[in-house]
Amino acid sequence: MIKAVETNGHASNAEHDGGHVARRVRVRILRQDVAGGESYWERFEVPHEPNMNVISVLQKVAAQAKSQDGRAVAPVAWDCSCLEEVCGSCTMLINGRTRMACSALVDKLLDESEEIELRPMSKFPVVRDLVVDRRRLFRSLERVQAWVPVDDSYDHGPGPRISPREQEDAYPLSTCISCGCCLEACPQFTKIEVVRRDGESEADFVKRRKAAFDAGFVGAHAISQSMLFNAHPTGGMIAGERLETLTGQGGIQVCGNAQNCVAVCPKSIPLTRSIARAGRAATVWAIKKLFDR
Amino acid sequence: MSDPAESFLARHQFLIYRLFSLSGLVPVGAFLVVHLLTNASILAGPGTFQSRVDLIHSIGERVLPIVEWAFIFLPMLFHATVGFVIIANGLPNVGSYPYVGNVRYTLQRATGMIAFVFIIGHVIHLHWMGKPLGGGQFDPHAASSSAAVAIQPALASALYAIGVLCAVFHFANGLWTLGITWGLWTSPAAMRRANAVSIVVGVALAAAGLGSLAGLQGLRGQKLDDARAIEANMHEDREARERLLHGGDRATSAVRPAVGAPVADSRGG
Amino acid sequence: MAQPRVLVVGGGLAGLAATMRLAELGVGVDLVSLVPVKRSHSVCAQGGINSVNALTRQQGDNEWKHFDDTVYGGDFLQHQPPVKEMADWGPRIVDLMDRLGVPFNRTPEGFRDQRRFGGTLYKRTAFAGATTGQQLLYALDEQVRRREVEGKVKKWEFWDFLAPVLDDAGRCRGAICQDLVTMEFRAFPADAVVLATGGNGLIYGRSTMSMVCTGSAVSRAYRAGAAYGNGEFIQVHPTAIPGADKLRLMSESARGEGGRVWVPRKPQDPRDPRDIPEADRCYFLEERYPKYGNLVPRDIATREIFDICTTDGLSVEKDRLCVYLDVTHIPRETLDRKLGGILEIYEKFQGVDPRSVPMKIFPAVHYSMGGLWVDYERSSSGGMVEGAIRNQQTSIPGLYAIGECDYQYHGANRLGANSLLSCIFSGLFVAPTLAAAAGATAPVDRRLFEATERREEERHRALLGRTAGDENPYDLHQQLGGLMTRVATVVRRNDQLEAAYGEVCAMEERWKRCAVSDTGNWTNQNVVFTKALGDMFPVAKLILKGALLRDECRGAHFKPAFAMPGISATDPAGQRREAEEWCDRFEANTRKWLKSTIATCDSAGNPEISYQDVDTSLIPPRPRLYGLVGADVIEEVWKERHATADAGGTAAEPRLAAAAT
Repeated sequence: MIKAVETNGHASNAEHDGGHVARRVRVRILRQDVAGGESYWERFEVPHEPNMNVISVLQKVAAQAKSQDGRAVAPVAWDCSCLEEVCGSCTMLINGRTRMACSALVDKLLDESEEIELRPMSKFPVVRDLVVDRRRLFRSLERVQAWVPVDDSYDHGPGPRISPREQEDAYPLSTCISCGCCLEACPQFTKIEVVRRDGESEADFVKRRKAAFDAGFVGAHAISQSMLFNAHPTGGMIAGERLETLTGQGGIQVCGNAQNCVAVCPKSIPLTRSIARAGRAATVWAIKKLFDR
Repeated sequence: MSDPAESFLARHQFLIYRLFSLSGLVPVGAFLVVHLLTNASILAGPGTFQSRVDLIHSIGERVLPIVEWAFIFLPMLFHATVGFVIIANGLPNVGSYPYVGNVRYTLQRATGMIAFVFIIGHVIHLHWMGKPLGGGQFDPHAASSSAAVAIQPALASALYAIGVLCAVFHFANGLWTLGITWGLWTSPAAMRRANAVSIVVGVALAAAGLGSLAGLQGLRGQKLDDARAIEANMHEDREARERLLHGGDRATSAVRPAVGAPVADSRGG
Repeated sequence: MAQPRVLVVGGGLAGLAATMRLAELGVGVDLVSLVPVKRSHSVCAQGGINSVNALTRQQGDNEWKHFDDTVYGGDFLQHQPPVKEMADWGPRIVDLMDRLGVPFNRTPEGFRDQRRFGGTLYKRTAFAGATTGQQLLYALDEQVRRREVEGKVKKWEFWDFLAPVLDDAGRCRGAICQDLVTMEFRAFPADAVVLATGGNGLIYGRSTMSMVCTGSAVSRAYRAGAAYGNGEFIQVHPTAIPGADKLRLMSESARGEGGRVWVPRKPQDPRDPRDIPEADRCYFLEERYPKYGNLVPRDIATREIFDICTTDGLSVEKDRLCVYLDVTHIPRETLDRKLGGILEIYEKFQGVDPRSVPMKIFPAVHYSMGGLWVDYERSSSGGMVEGAIRNQQTSIPGLYAIGECDYQYHGANRLGANSLLSCIFSGLFVAPTLAAAAGATAPVDRRLFEATERREEERHRALLGRTAGDENPYDLHQQLGGLMTRVATVVRRNDQLEAAYGEVCAMEERWKRCAVSDTGNWTNQNVVFTKALGDMFPVAKLILKGALLRDECRGAHFKPAFAMPGISATDPAGQRREAEEWCDRFEANTRKWLKSTIATCDSAGNPEISYQDVDTSLIPPRPRLYGLVGADVIEEVWKERHATADAGGTAAEPRLAAAAT
């Protein structure tokens, strides 16, 4: 183990033969060993490389498994997969702001502060270190029935004709990677952590957790997805069901118009436009419902 | 599982929040506009202001409290109550995300709370209901002079300036978010245009509000005496007209053309 | 009997397509995935999905031509019936995805827009912006979510497939999986298990693949007895952005719009690239291929870039192989208009503006044509029999494989925009097979699972207990990746392959001394990674051995020692003679090497290689002559030789195409 770390150190010095001083990247990580456990800070130092992103810092941290003061510590746990900002896994708070670790470049972060600070997302329960449980995010997609309700997957010919303008409108909404940045930055979206009680069955726990999620704010991503599907010719066939959710508890009305969602969205999705459209649709729908009774 | 009150609120969250949003515009916001514009008439002289006040009071001293409660105090209390629930459920994070929209979100909540406290103080201070608490200093028959005397102390005028600006910001910014909430402006460009309109409205109202405070500040010494004289004259005119029309039958004071009537206990201070 | 239940491992395009169709067929599905299925590697596909369509059909295109392009592009190494079936299904699949709400780009009239991709003459490729894979995956994810709400599917996200469970007759009866959060083990009894676990790019260290593409599930099936096909065929994309953590794709369009590839003539010239004068730059593609310049075919570009860095040592950087891809001479407005999107990717991840500084790029491992060997049942029309129990079944009965992790559709080389099709097709097509298999099994004794579960728990515990070793799994992984990238990607030499095989065996021994720095039993990514690393060695060995034994050039497998050069003679008679010789040699090579490589794992974890004949009954193999010197002469000779055979072939074509419509 110790030998391996020394090898690492050597490699980093050897890399910078072009007159550069071997730089080190200092990083401070808010750790937590288990769900519901105490959190604590731990500092790490890794060799600097050009074009390095936060993922490569974490990879090095995992490989050396040693804190800045030389103690052997368990590697930091974090989520990642595609590393090209399209899978939505690696969301975390980097220097206090929610963003994707894969597209967070170290050199830019070091311009902000001397030490990089990594924390898990604060609106989701921490599983371990930087890993959080984002199942509420996916539950929101179920709540708004974010799908096209086709009869089946057999051959019924092509889908409906769609104008290029409609496609250009829909496409950006459809690039949502479910990273949760919009939820993390939303002052109206607050954490819901449901802990299993002693003696509670798995099924009861799951039911209770679902009820808790369903009472909370659906979030910008789900509002935007409902607008995406309501605008689709087939998807719009259940527009009423979606608006029922959006005007139910935790629906569109919870939005406080802070517009952080659109500011932090890594895919630049026009979330506030979706929210305003949802607001309009909800207005019309509620009035119709009032008079159609 | 949850208590009935909570589930009632939960079931009707959308309706309640939408009524909350609406109440900010009508009647509360509309009242704010009328109130500030009425007050600004002080800049045209104590007589103009007095005639505006008389116009309002012309609906009758028995009807007025009903109107005040139905269209001002109760909607305001509703707006404030729901507002505090919303504030309690939010988690401002302007430190981490110092974007303009987020700053406005935070200010909207802060100004709402300040405005609410200010309005309570303002009502106690000037409205007749505040008399038992040593307030109620506004005399509708001596509108300018009584208001001037009440507001001229440095502390009072500073608090009024803050209160008025908070209320104005809260209203103008709320106007913009209301349009998003109800889906009046949906595209970023439309939001920008609506924002410009809100800013104009806000600046105009702030000017009206601060203008009336400045106008009251100016009513000192001789000017104050002049104002009192004008108000006394107008009051006598009104009394005279009243007698002429109704032969002294004060019970029918609400009949048109109503000119208002002094209420015995409103002449204090 | 209880409700039929199928275990689907992997929630990418293939796994989700199978799950969606199974749920419709009334089969209960357990869907196990390392990540939330919406985050599967399919999201990374950019280009599009191929199928014949109304427009191309009127230009003379048909399913048979799509089929032909696919087997020609794959150098005839795939069995033809499955490929024919896939091409026939293409139009239906794209229509289906369209109905599911995929925002395909549109023509002004509102039809799906199509673009042309490599390896064909027709605009067959439907696309949704630059994220077609993401859009297709999301559409299927949504349908599966809908079925999950209905209670027909149960997702197990953040779960790792550890081993198939086989009964005494050797039939797969379920699997053991592990929760990556709580680290608990669980037995999943199933009437059939289908692996849809994608590629294995992580064996090469850094690739264009996602961090979950370790190939561990396939390796575990292989260790349990499933045969592996064509492992040595690995597609390398010529231009990717080298990163410390992964290699990100840089679209070919950068060269299409005039981008120039060069290296400094002085090795590792420390000067800023903008300060290096023309005379000190080597535009090696333009110098070596004056006719094609920077737009040489993909495989040639890949080989040349690789070669200039490794053989000539002219890499721009010493530690990280790369060359310059330069678009700085193109006006900014042009770049923004035509390449805006892809240049932004470079800027985002490199923090450098490629409009003013040359990009650094290098080929990267991109796709694994090989995978688990799977069976099929040939239909009378030359396609596959739908619902036949053999379709997509591995050599272990009851264990199936679909998507990138099977070996079935792409032969020696995959055509662009065909992978999304093969994934969705194999997923949809396997569903009735699985439904049929699910009805055919007898109840199973739970004790069967206990033994495998205990073994896996034991393996896990043993790893956790290894705290005193002197090997670091992350360093070892880097070394494995470096070695595999060096010897088993673009250019392959037998001496290197042989040596590498020994080195990988040594690394596998060293892996046994890997220390685990996290000994806890909660979200222990350290031990999960170490386990996956251990599973890379058997696959790495079969790749190396397959490559070592295959003494020819075919598709992505290029061995310079066995390359067939073009014609050097200049006189017509000499050319004719050389062409005849070339064709003789080609035919001899086809007889010897047009065979699937089949690797099976012996008890020590070493591959045993055998070969299986390829079903080329529908389209006879013919040489790929693109870019070869004297191609016209060789083609002339080839046509003369096969005039009679061709007549038979063309006669067969309309008949089969008609049967498909």
